[in-house]
Amino acid sequence: MPILMSVNPANGISVPSGVSSPVIDIADLYKTYASGLRRRKVHALRGVDLQVSRGEVLGILGPNGAGKTTLLKVLLGIVHPTSGSARLFGQPAGDPKARRRLGYLPENHRFPTYLTARQTLDVYGRLSDLSDEARRERIPRLLEDVGLASWEDTRVGKFSKGMMQRLGLAQALLSQPEVVILDEPTDGVDPVGRRDIRDRLRALKQTGTTVVINSHLLSEIELVCDRVLIMHKGRIIRSGTVDELARQGSGWRVEVDRLDPLFEPERWSASLEETGRAIVVKDGLPETLNALIDHLREEQVQIMGIERHRASLEAGFIDLITSQEDAS
Amino acid sequence: MTTLSGSLLLTFRELWAMRLTQAMLVIASLAWLLLSFALNMDVVEGSLAAVRIFGFDTTPTDGVFNEDTGEWMSQALSLDKFMIGINTFVFGAAYFLGTLLGLFATMPLINGFLEYGRIDLLLSKPLSRPRLLAGHLVGVWLTVLVLSSYLVGGVWLSLSFKTGVWMPMFLMAIPIITVMFAVMYAVILSVSIITRSSGLGLVITYGLIFFSIVLASHNQIVPVLSNTNAAIFMAFYHVLPNFIEVVGVQAQLVEGTVVTSWYPFISSLLFGFVTYGIGFFWFSRRDF
Repeated sequence: MPILMSVNPANGISVPSGVSSPVIDIADLYKTYASGLRRRKVHALRGVDLQVSRGEVLGILGPNGAGKTTLLKVLLGIVHPTSGSARLFGQPAGDPKARRRLGYLPENHRFPTYLTARQTLDVYGRLSDLSDEARRERIPRLLEDVGLASWEDTRVGKFSKGMMQRLGLAQALLSQPEVVILDEPTDGVDPVGRRDIRDRLRALKQTGTTVVINSHLLSEIELVCDRVLIMHKGRIIRSGTVDELARQGSGWRVEVDRLDPLFEPERWSASLEETGRAIVVKDGLPETLNALIDHLREEQVQIMGIERHRASLEAGFIDLITSQEDAS
Repeated sequence: MTTLSGSLLLTFRELWAMRLTQAMLVIASLAWLLLSFALNMDVVEGSLAAVRIFGFDTTPTDGVFNEDTGEWMSQALSLDKFMIGINTFVFGAAYFLGTLLGLFATMPLINGFLEYGRIDLLLSKPLSRPRLLAGHLVGVWLTVLVLSSYLVGGVWLSLSFKTGVWMPMFLMAIPIITVMFAVMYAVILSVSIITRSSGLGLVITYGLIFFSIVLASHNQIVPVLSNTNAAIFMAFYHVLPNFIEVVGVQAQLVEGTVVTSWYPFISSLLFGFVTYGIGFFWFSRRDF
């Protein structure tokens, strides 16, 4: 039976159609750092399992110290795992061959301040093993794409944080990678710049490029990611689509004319608004809503309106992290 | 090869961006321009009759002991001795000042190379860690080679044309300066990789250079030590770089005499190999 091939327009590399072997495959990954004179152990990753398919846009969320950056660094071979395995394109993470197909924007990256934007991309293009021809063709185009064309001969030392991020993004995309790993890509970027970066990520998604984003800006993740995983204390505590995670805090808002002072909202997984005229059902289950309506009708309470209350990813994230903190 | 060229280019640009590299080129230019245009010599029968710098008479003389009168007398310095003196002075200045200043100048280079945000980006590129470090090192070595060639080669050419006395062994100063700088750079680099403190690396490197002054006096020091202390001292002598003693090797080369011992140079070279080995091993293993 012939194998159908599809071509990634970003880089012209053919891949078998319908074959969804993960481009990133992490199994039971642990990373423990030893710090200080007493070699105090810090467990940055504790048994992480993760598969990322080709063309997927994955967002990684988590509070500071959750292990997000360590996870990305293990994938890139910058940090060596304590145990477990991390593979990129089927090759062990850290293999230079695997990194040939990968673009990376680190958090708080620092480019040499004495280089101009064009020289910076030229140097990093060389380091990515790009030919002279490819660099000549791509560098002006990428600088144009990220809005730095008129700054190409300006030294990077004079760039603002936002401009540095744009240049960093251009650098990450220079080799037309199949996988792009972005650590806080919109950090320090103004709202217009953030929108441009989002558009750029969407365009990457269209070309079938796999994108992994680590960001504190949940709204960014919400707008571009197919799947989100939430990390806490070195573990993945939740993974799903944005809708699935946002549902965590979704429910209904029931507006009433009056309420019995003895009404117990906890019984319905609900809370009362300050006005005392609206009940917010948090668990999102229709059964709970119907049971509440039955109760209110029995009490002769007039229902003035019911509206679907959709929580944001941020609300879901905060609820989840808070519950984890409480549990521990 | 493209990846290696990127690593080299980055190092060259960084070194060029440092003012000290440019200052060294200016100093080297001044040195051989001074010898070319400001130094005038009158040579009579192979001896210096007069030497003028910027028109001022600074004729050097040689002291000779007269056995008949029992007194020291001065006589015109031979041109060969004058050339050896100038060459040794230039070598000494380049060797000590060049190495000390060069090591100092490379501190921000190493800092920049190893700083967070820079090193992780470099490590994410499709080249192995040893290759990345090798690119950095070759860039530094080549820069030192170019600087020392420019200074020593320029001085040698201008003096040789001026006097007609060609001392090709003076050019041995170029590899000796480059290799000994590379040996000392191994220390600052490896310590910086292990401790992430280039300041500590510089202190230890300077410490080794100054300790080599003590090691160079081993013939005078060892006889006054107890057996145990003498053994410890000699262990240091054999293990650590003999930075100062290498000056003697170069002096003998310029004088055209047989080099009595290459040991200081070879043992320093071995020290450099081992130190680089430790640095490469650590760089390959550590997390950034």
